[in-house]
Amino acid sequence: MSFQILLNVFLAFIWMFLKNDYGSSSFFIGYLLGLLIMLAYRRFFTSRFYLVRVWAVIKLLALFLKELVLSNISVLKHILSPTLNIKPGIFALKTELTKDWEITILANLITLTPGTLVVDVSLDRQTLYIHAMDIPEKHEAIDSIKNTFERAIMEVSR
Amino acid sequence: MKNDLILQTVTKVVVFIILLFSVSIFFGGHYSPGGGFVGGLLTAAAIVLLLLAYDIKTVAKLIPVDYKLVVATGLLISTLTVAGAMFFDVPMMTHAYQYFDIPILGHTSLHTAVLFDLGVYLVVVGVTMTIIQTIGEDE
Repeated sequence: MSFQILLNVFLAFIWMFLKNDYGSSSFFIGYLLGLLIMLAYRRFFTSRFYLVRVWAVIKLLALFLKELVLSNISVLKHILSPTLNIKPGIFALKTELTKDWEITILANLITLTPGTLVVDVSLDRQTLYIHAMDIPEKHEAIDSIKNTFERAIMEVSR
Repeated sequence: MKNDLILQTVTKVVVFIILLFSVSIFFGGHYSPGGGFVGGLLTAAAIVLLLLAYDIKTVAKLIPVDYKLVVATGLLISTLTVAGAMFFDVPMMTHAYQYFDIPILGHTSLHTAVLFDLGVYLVVVGVTMTIIQTIGEDE
């Protein structure tokens, strides 16, 4: 991934040297041409072509923004309702993610989404302990987290 | 036992942003709010964030600096900048500035007040970190 971006920047610089024009527009054209050449020769790389991963990051960002709006609306409903009928509690969530940054991003996404809050990470980094505003919704919460966030993060890091 | 995984991972990313911001505040002191004092405090804040996420021994390994020497260096730089005016038959604390055409940066103004500010910056970082480390090492 990083190697491919570095190669693309390198190709853009070579384009600038060939054209003898060192402005930002020339760099941009060189970058686009380098992208096309790399797209044609994408079978040479050991990992995926990096635009796929950039697209996955954009999708993760869009998912996060959507969930943020939804979570604030749901919390607003709880606050404005005359009777408070919630059952708080803490449950454990097994995660399949291994890298530090993946777990951190997953924990932050869970914290910023409806009625759930990461309290702690277990020492072996297998389990996240999550405080839920409404324990009866636990299974739905686990399912939604598994299906949306974990998959989106795996798309990025695969 | 506690797992500080999230705090440590976020710290690894955020410290660099704080340091870059502190440098920008330091150089912005002439035309915009900022300067040596605020820049020094921000740099110290970045190191304090490292101290919160890791422990004192780890941070001392990461940044092998004796902060008392940093204070001394800062005072020396500031004093020399102030005293340097005497060699040109002008009163002390007179600053000189000149426009230079530097190859990459282009038309740049270089001012000796930046050197004085660098001294202030180093003194603030040194004093803040000395205080915090002295308090933190008390077992």
